[in-house]
Amino acid sequence: MEFLAFLVVDGVLAGAIYALVALAFVVVYKASRMINFAVGDWMMLGSRMVASGIHGVGLGLGGALAFGCVGMVAVAMAFDRVVLRRLFSRSLLTLIMVTIGLGIFMRGSAALVFAGLPGGIARPLPLDPLVIVGVPVAVEKLVAAAIAGACIGALSWFFHGSRTGLALRAIASDQQVAMAVGIDLHRHFAIAWGLVGVLSVLSGTLWSFVAGGGFGIELLGLKVFPIVIVGGLDSFPGSIIGAFIVGILESLTAGYVDPLVGGGFSHVASYLVLMAALFVRPYGLFGRPDIVRV
Amino acid sequence: MAVSGLLEVDDLHVSYGRIRAVQGVSLTVPDAAVVALIGANGAGKSTLLRAISGIIRPHRGAVRYLGEDLVGLPVHQIVRRRVIHVPEGRGMLARMTVLENLRLGGFALKGAGHGKSDLERVFALFPVLRERRAQLAGSLSGGEQQILAIARAMMARPRLLMLDEPSLGLAPLLVREIFRIIPRLTAEGTAVLLVEQNARMALQCAAYAYVLQTGRVVLSGRAADLLAAPEVQHAYLGAG
Ligand SMILES: Nc1ncnc2c1ncn2[C@@H]1O[C@H](COP(=O)(O)OP(=O)(O)O)[C@@H](O)[C@H]1O
Ligand SMILES: [Mg+2]
Repeated sequence: MEFLAFLVVDGVLAGAIYALVALAFVVVYKASRMINFAVGDWMMLGSRMVASGIHGVGLGLGGALAFGCVGMVAVAMAFDRVVLRRLFSRSLLTLIMVTIGLGIFMRGSAALVFAGLPGGIARPLPLDPLVIVGVPVAVEKLVAAAIAGACIGALSWFFHGSRTGLALRAIASDQQVAMAVGIDLHRHFAIAWGLVGVLSVLSGTLWSFVAGGGFGIELLGLKVFPIVIVGGLDSFPGSIIGAFIVGILESLTAGYVDPLVGGGFSHVASYLVLMAALFVRPYGLFGRPDIVRV
Repeated sequence: MAVSGLLEVDDLHVSYGRIRAVQGVSLTVPDAAVVALIGANGAGKSTLLRAISGIIRPHRGAVRYLGEDLVGLPVHQIVRRRVIHVPEGRGMLARMTVLENLRLGGFALKGAGHGKSDLERVFALFPVLRERRAQLAGSLSGGEQQILAIARAMMARPRLLMLDEPSLGLAPLLVREIFRIIPRLTAEGTAVLLVEQNARMALQCAAYAYVLQTGRVVLSGRAADLLAAPEVQHAYLGAG
């Protein structure tokens, strides 16, 4: 019983970070219907920028986060200006392939640019787990999850309480109408990608807190597809719930199934859920039927 | 009608691939006046409005607005010049609330702070929208959606308002409600370019009118004169 509680809590804490990753995906999908196949590479680059802010520039954690955000927003703006605007009239498939290309480019250039710099981000936290009603909880995971939760709250306020958020939701709802009320689509696509940059820094850093930094982070991006497909691609609440489902499922299979089969099943489990979800509700648990799949 | 106007469309040509929908249309909308555009289905009325508001690009001709050619400007730039288009089919954001739709109407207005008073003005004019402000726009009736579409356009404080078939599919009572608004708009300084199937009502509320046929202007003049012209009566007003 205690083991089960431990696994569920661990899954929930991971799920909070997954949710942040999934939101980085959904923000762009909602605005432009573009599927970002390189979310993981964005996270990797975000966390490497923060790490290099600490180890290379000598900043504190807060300064390094700001450094990373500025850097990633610059990457997003460059991607928007140099690539996306030029390809605007091309097919969605072209644009999606471009995200893959960018991911490969990010991986390659990060290996060059950050060569020799450590990728880890030290966490200013105690190492001993807290014991809450008999269940041990890793402090760094708890803190990371709390920060992720706060970020999700801030993002939700941004979308529902700000003028730019209103415009982004209008674009997600109907691009033609959004244009007709005077919204500059290109400007808002760029804003959406800028958000991806910031979310990448935050989720990449939080993931480094709990799992150590480095080049393994891009694998985090692979988790996004089960999550958003369970959640329905264009639904914020759906993808948050999907993130928790995947987090808990991974944790449970890692605890109960992996020891039996010799490990690794927990990584596959979420993809089994993905396929099951596609059979039962092709448009996701929270999505709408009118979504066209690529 | 060689009046120099707020809007002067000059020899405009618009095509969809090989379909030549508008073929050399010229027209003038004077400041704060109502100009009606009538014609059969497929005559090119909606296409003309789309070209003026920048949704489609004409391949020839000019759209001069306050002396500036709008051709080639992106839609949001044209909206910022307070040229507002209420399209056929109303263009609601169905999954957003009435209030959010109205807020978006004023999106292009730069200086914030006007929002509240504009909203009050629109609510005073259309009390039904105040009642339904928290409802999703898609859940409104057709008539309420049309009212919302016009109200949303008013939030942008249009200098030129283009209405495409505002009475389409509405009950007569609602049609009268819609037409009741138009003189109020012009009184506040808004010019209206009105596309209508309901030619009689359109001509009755307009100062000038143009009759479009297969992409060309075949008749134009003062609305009262057109209302009395035998060819208009015969073809568009259902008189013998
Ligand atoms: N999106 C489109 N693609 C191709 N042809 C179109 C399109 N929209 C309108 N047309 C054609 O252009 C002509 C003018 O249409 P339209 O401007 O909608 O006329 P109206 O509004 O007067 O009914 C028609 O022949 C119509 O079939
Ligand atoms: Mg039409």
